[in-house]
Amino acid sequence: MKVVNYQDFKAMAYLNIEAQQANTYDAIVVGSGVSGGWASKELTEKGLKVLMLERGRQLEHISGYENAMKDPWQTSYNGRLTVEQKKTHPFLSRDYPYNEMTETYWMNDSDSMYEEKKRFDWFRPNIVGGKSIMWGRQSYRWSDLDFEGNVKDGIAVDWPIRYKDIAPWYSYVEKHVGISGEKLGLPQLPDSEFLPAMDMYCVEKEVRKRIEKNFPGRSMTIGRVANLSQAHKAALDIGRSPCQYRNRCNLGCPYGAYFSTQSCTLPPAVKTGNLTLRPDSVVKEIIYDKAKNKATGVRIVDSVTLEEREFYAKIIFVCGGAIGSTVLLQNSISDRFPKGLGNDSGELGHNLMDHHFRTGASGEWEGDQDKYYYGRRANGIYVPRYQNIGNDKRGYLRGFGYQGGGSRQGWTRNVAELSFGADFKNELTKPGKWTMGLGGFGETLPYHENHMYLDHSKKDKWGIPIVVFDADLRDNEKKMREDMKNDAAEMLEKAGLKNVRTYDNGSYLGMAIHEMGTARMGKDPKTSVLNAFNQVHSVKNVFVTDGACMTSASCVNPSLTYMALTARAADHAVKELKKKNL
Amino acid sequence: MGLYCKVLSKSKTVNNKNMNRREAVQRITLLMGGALSAPLMAGIAGEKLNTGPSLSVNPQQEALLAEIADIIIPSTNTPGAKAAGAEKFIVRVVRDCYELEDQKKFYAGVEKLDSDSKEIYGKGFMQLDTEKKNEIVKRSTTYDKPFFLQMKGLTVTAYFTSEIGATQALDYLPIPGRFDGCIPLKEGQKTWAL
Repeated sequence: MKVVNYQDFKAMAYLNIEAQQANTYDAIVVGSGVSGGWASKELTEKGLKVLMLERGRQLEHISGYENAMKDPWQTSYNGRLTVEQKKTHPFLSRDYPYNEMTETYWMNDSDSMYEEKKRFDWFRPNIVGGKSIMWGRQSYRWSDLDFEGNVKDGIAVDWPIRYKDIAPWYSYVEKHVGISGEKLGLPQLPDSEFLPAMDMYCVEKEVRKRIEKNFPGRSMTIGRVANLSQAHKAALDIGRSPCQYRNRCNLGCPYGAYFSTQSCTLPPAVKTGNLTLRPDSVVKEIIYDKAKNKATGVRIVDSVTLEEREFYAKIIFVCGGAIGSTVLLQNSISDRFPKGLGNDSGELGHNLMDHHFRTGASGEWEGDQDKYYYGRRANGIYVPRYQNIGNDKRGYLRGFGYQGGGSRQGWTRNVAELSFGADFKNELTKPGKWTMGLGGFGETLPYHENHMYLDHSKKDKWGIPIVVFDADLRDNEKKMREDMKNDAAEMLEKAGLKNVRTYDNGSYLGMAIHEMGTARMGKDPKTSVLNAFNQVHSVKNVFVTDGACMTSASCVNPSLTYMALTARAADHAVKELKKKNL
Repeated sequence: MGLYCKVLSKSKTVNNKNMNRREAVQRITLLMGGALSAPLMAGIAGEKLNTGPSLSVNPQQEALLAEIADIIIPSTNTPGAKAAGAEKFIVRVVRDCYELEDQKKFYAGVEKLDSDSKEIYGKGFMQLDTEKKNEIVKRSTTYDKPFFLQMKGLTVTAYFTSEIGATQALDYLPIPGRFDGCIPLKEGQKTWAL
């Protein structure tokens, strides 16, 4: 045993304190995606010194978007994956978001394999900005139809908030982000603060009229999308430009024309001078002090060097993505919390949800042969949920909305399968048929049995236990899918489309990349993990504001709600700090 | 290592209520450090990326591919697949994106066109006149339909994503700057390339 004399001991203690002070912040934000970016912006703007830890690599706005401006002949495979990429990315290669052009934005599955009792697709980003670079940008508010669902249907637990609690925060984030859309005045889909709506294609304009005439009570609108149809002052102030209609958003936008951490929340955070961003930082556990009943900081593994280090803060915002956030809590084990931080209820990891989709219908439109379009709209149409509303009663709970759109077929169409030669070539150089499709996005109920947990006997590259998924679509979802398919066909047929065909390409949890739940909000600490302000019931200086917090899933795209919940929770956190409650 | 403190480059406030497309393009080209050159990308594209076993393809096979592609998409009032270098794309995709078994099947199909040409016309595919080349390809649509469809699909993609195909045979508009969903189809308007 090393003998340490008193002078050395004092020196060491002093160094330790110094080191600790250098690693101490007012707030730590885990994750730099949609939620983490917002937490960092809000907390730094309110004067806190914030450390934002991101497991992925740095991705600089504009200069980092290496493929964003490439012409198709500058790619190697026009987007295809190589055999090697499919091998190393067995989960990511299941679906379109991972392709040649987005390769470097996604995690290498082989570094952190997971297990699935039933198929679960987990798409993990590996960059500053998280999925806010690749996301689909569809942005919709929830209503009390969603917030009251659980209590009215008698399932799961009640949300501890209602629309009136979040409405001002929707407005707050929308004014900064810029959401393009059209006011409808629908109670089940409240209007946002809107920038001008994007235009519709000929076939969409006509189909809209006919759907609304043939099915009173149903609407079809243009998608509500986080793209700048117009650059408002808040956008111009941070150097963003209007959308150029290139439809290559998921490669990163050199114009900053859609919401991402890089374009929208990082600039104001950096401007405050209060932000430190540390990429390549895998947060392994939250450090919990039993005597203080507080989290005091986090322990990270540097993703490159594998060195561990600690950072300290008064409050911690956990925004690592729904699954990632829960993994962090589950891996933060102590005497007080043997089943994971804040898991007195046993609900941590449970009530895992996603939207189910990939079913609907499409058809051909014989009109408007003398019409075409200019520009590539990075947006579709939207049919808000109409099921189980008013007199429209169904044999299942909740409901679905439709995304979709129309266009004229291009050179990729299958012109008389076996044809080739000059006539075939010339045919492809002319615009093809107008087609239109509707694809449903359905709500998945919160089932306790749908869950994920850690297998501590197996570790990934960074020493984090691997995740096991055990979740499936069940009866309610399967019944709903029948209607998603058939209603779409009915609407398109009645609208006069020809050759209407339905499809169901199968949906697996995780595939919609709207995974949520596993650390749900609720009124009662015995049946939920978080309170009405996203605080862990039993460790109030830890906040979880990303998809993990969701108590139900609605059928609308969730990111706008994560933004609003995060801004609201950050506001509460700072107020509580000022009152010395935290 | 050490802590990162990223300060974004001080982007000038863009007073661009009327920012037009030209200005937007100029600004972005500047921020991106100038244009990305096609030769640079072609050099990168030439690298072998499939680290598993792959068939190596000789210049004769490449030339044969170019000729077949040129029958599927010939020169008309715009250059055809051979002029557009379609075979380069095809070789690259088959080498890096196809499993070895599928590569073998594909090149067996290519070989069969050539051997059938010798059997029927006494000459290799490359030596045939255009009419006879068309005949051979037409035959393959029945006796080797899966190969034909695969070759056709690859050729179509290779051609219409090539610089020649995208910018000459189609209408190429990288930065539209606006979106109008329903406008008259102008005389001579071609399919959008993107």
